Amino acid sequence: MGPLVSNSRTCMKHLCTWVVNPLYLRPALAGLPQHNMLAVRFIINPNTQLYSTKGDKQAELYSQVTKEKGFTPRTRPAFPKSVFAAGTAKKTAEYMKKRAGIDTEELSNNTPASGRGYLKVALPDHPLTTSEWAKLKEGSSKSERFEMQMMERLLSANADVNIAKSLLAYVVQDKGTLSYELLLRYLTLCVTAGHHSEVFDTYDIMRTCFKTLETGASSLFIKGFSQTERWREALGLLEGLKKALLPSARNYGDAITGAVLHGDIETGWKLYDELLEQGIESHQSTWQCLFQSGITQRGQEDKLFSVLSYMRDNQIYPEVLLIKTIKAWFESLPDQKWSGKFSCVAPSGECKTCKASLESIQLTEEEYAQLKDEVMKKVIEGSDIFNKTTPEELKCFKAFVKQRPPFDIVIDGLNVANTTPKATHSETLLAVVSELERQGLNILVLGRKHMLQPSRNWDRQNMNKIKQKSHCFFTENMSEDDPFLLYAALHSGVHCNFLSRDLMRDHKACLPDRATRRLFFKWQRGHQLVISNYAPGKRVRFQRISAYDTIVQTAGSSWHIPYDENGDRATYEVPQKWLCLTQEH
Amino acid sequence: MVFDVMFLRSCSLAVRRICSRAPVQTLLRSASTSQTTGRDEEEEKLDLDVWKAVMKTQALPENRSDPSPSPLDFHRELVEMWHQAGKLVPKSITDEQLQDLAALTTKSAKKKFLKFLAIKEAHKITKKEKRENKPRPERNTDGEERELRNTFLMKFWSGSMDRLLNWRVAQAMRFGQPLVYDMSYEQHMTRRELENAVSQLMETEGFNRRSSDPFHLHFCGLKPGGAFHREILKRYGAETWERMLITDTASQPADLFPREDLVYLTADSHTVLRKFDHRKVYVVGAIVDRSIQSGVSLANAKRLQLATARLPLDEHLNWDCGAKNLTLDQMIRILSTVKDTGSWKAALEFVPKRKHCGFHSMRTGKTQSVRNESTAPKNKTDGHKRVRERKTWWEEEG
Repeated sequence: MGPLVSNSRTCMKHLCTWVVNPLYLRPALAGLPQHNMLAVRFIINPNTQLYSTKGDKQAELYSQVTKEKGFTPRTRPAFPKSVFAAGTAKKTAEYMKKRAGIDTEELSNNTPASGRGYLKVALPDHPLTTSEWAKLKEGSSKSERFEMQMMERLLSANADVNIAKSLLAYVVQDKGTLSYELLLRYLTLCVTAGHHSEVFDTYDIMRTCFKTLETGASSLFIKGFSQTERWREALGLLEGLKKALLPSARNYGDAITGAVLHGDIETGWKLYDELLEQGIESHQSTWQCLFQSGITQRGQEDKLFSVLSYMRDNQIYPEVLLIKTIKAWFESLPDQKWSGKFSCVAPSGECKTCKASLESIQLTEEEYAQLKDEVMKKVIEGSDIFNKTTPEELKCFKAFVKQRPPFDIVIDGLNVANTTPKATHSETLLAVVSELERQGLNILVLGRKHMLQPSRNWDRQNMNKIKQKSHCFFTENMSEDDPFLLYAALHSGVHCNFLSRDLMRDHKACLPDRATRRLFFKWQRGHQLVISNYAPGKRVRFQRISAYDTIVQTAGSSWHIPYDENGDRATYEVPQKWLCLTQEH
Repeated sequence: MVFDVMFLRSCSLAVRRICSRAPVQTLLRSASTSQTTGRDEEEEKLDLDVWKAVMKTQALPENRSDPSPSPLDFHRELVEMWHQAGKLVPKSITDEQLQDLAALTTKSAKKKFLKFLAIKEAHKITKKEKRENKPRPERNTDGEERELRNTFLMKFWSGSMDRLLNWRVAQAMRFGQPLVYDMSYEQHMTRRELENAVSQLMETEGFNRRSSDPFHLHFCGLKPGGAFHREILKRYGAETWERMLITDTASQPADLFPREDLVYLTADSHTVLRKFDHRKVYVVGAIVDRSIQSGVSLANAKRLQLATARLPLDEHLNWDCGAKNLTLDQMIRILSTVKDTGSWKAALEFVPKRKHCGFHSMRTGKTQSVRNESTAPKNKTDGHKRVRERKTWWEEEG
């Protein structure tokens, strides 16, 4: 065993550098352990050399794939259910990080302890007198912003409010006045620690000493006031905020919390309606507060159900705290005997607790037509048709699709061909096409024209076989093939699926509004096939398509609400956990 | 307590009497120091709320003079208070800027705009300070004593230089190789981007004028009265613009030159410009693209059915981070150098250093360069490190 074996990770890193120059291959081969033989076989194989004659995008694509997927087939993680399941992206990212090595961890660890203008003096633990503060200030290196930095440190250390007050007393004696900025910091300290009387005093002072309050102070006062008897004044501050800027969801949330806490449910809902009108999405804590109030105070059922349907319409998933409150609220409803259980859903779309089946993921006819139209208009044509294709090509493609019977499956040829580095592109594609043909499906393969030019990766005979087994359309090398894929799949009808590893996020971003994007995502979840763990020679297997829609839903006597368990869900993923609510009769 | 009351009274008096703050400070200082020296340590009582009393004496008079404040006033107040709160906003703001601010719809857009103004303001102030601090050259003292020297040449004034350069550019306009800037991207740019584009164009023209063998610059698709034209006139001045030795036209490049001679340079192109051709007419898109609109110039070239090419950046440089599109002035520096010397290595010196970590070493040759590209570090931060690592590995194994 050579020195390379002991350090097999670096060896992996440099494997691809050997490919070009066989000189470096020979000594290394002798020392390679058995489990690396697979990788080595791949390297010696002349068909898969990494450079291409043209050195163009093709080579780039290839290198990317090898970087991501190559060389360590054993340890590659098996994706759990689907690429859209919550947490998949995070797991993949962690795995990639681990493979990238330790150096990234080192980088993140040695963050400097001291930022800019870090004070060296110790934080006092009791209120100081003026002279003591003066002494402390002399001891610090940067004295011009001494009080500001000291206040910030007191805030971050959650220090006693009296220390901050003594600092203010010192500053006022030293300078004769207090700056707005310093008072703002002090106010933050008071609000976070909940010193209400101090908040009131500071409010009176700031109100009189300065022309207006800016957004930061107003927000803090809204937050501070909403917890006290003077919560109505927070509403006035909210009005003041509106003059120059739109108040944030947090501002509204604080005001609503204030109203609801003090029993004025009507004002709370009025503010909530206003929030919706502005097009702001509420924070989860605001909803939690509203549901909480629903437990103690009756008569809000309609409103709270409308919140649930808002979540449904906007594809929002509650987090753990909120879902617990929702469950408690349902169970507190009198005479309805709701019982809630946290549950999962079987792949068939059946809730594991109540055995009811969930809503199907299929789109309605109108939705389907609308989505097809939008994809054509926004994704393919866009603002400039030349961006993705040319008018002639588009015409040609439309005619092509019209002439053929509806397809059962549309394949993104280049994406599928790049699935594994262990076989040439055309071999992989042929294997996939043959497997699907065996199932008796009508197939469309989309690709680019360069695939037709015989090369190492694109064997002519394989390509001919693919052409016999399926319909093929090859776009110009400069055009994008994904939009055509989407259109062909949508054009063929509800039964048609498509095969690609691409998550289509850039195409989703082309769509004009959130509603259409949600529609697209729903269709994508129901129709996208992804190849799972493919190895050449083995049978091609696909990841499961979900049969049910992950969305807040009801069937009269039952509710099913998906929720986020922990915060590692990517935006293109959906949660796997459900709250199942059923009524006992 | 008696002291406190006294102290407060004195300071409130002081505040009322003198509005400026500096005298107050001295007053307070003297009062407090005299008191502490006169008393024992134990008697120096902590009054935590003294600041409240002091601040209350400084209350602004209750005169809400403006009965019907406009949205502009609210914005002015907002900027003023944000400044006091220590946010990154300008100290003073003009009415025009305020109107621009009020026209922005989202909070983040307003914040960004104010930050931009604040940075601009800070630059202005530092520049002014520098100018003031610079020692003035003394002129009048040596005027009489200086004797006329016997010189071979008269002083070479910058005007003479200008004449020389203009002569060269005039030559280029008759016999030089054309270089086209496609100005048809007005609608793709925001105001800021357009202003930046014009700055880069001015830089371009300046470099071209100074080079030993200038291009004949064409500004094609420049609509008279369009945003581009207006901004150019504003920056150059109408008179200077008229005397500029470049060709500006509203027509497309394909109308001026034979289609087969034109090569559209765009970073999205699939073909690489391996050799600079002195007979071709290169077209550069005059666009600054801060937002994400990939492939705009490629789409334009496709529409005009022109050949496209990209600079051989990957072929010569170990690219590290940053977009492959370069600024307009960098483009002319590169093109002009490669035209004069024929060496990409010399030309690509003008690619910003932060974007790459050095040239591919010469001995590795062509195939190697493709390989290097494939193993180029994905992690942006340790790009330099990896290159070093690889080198040592080569040496060990070789």
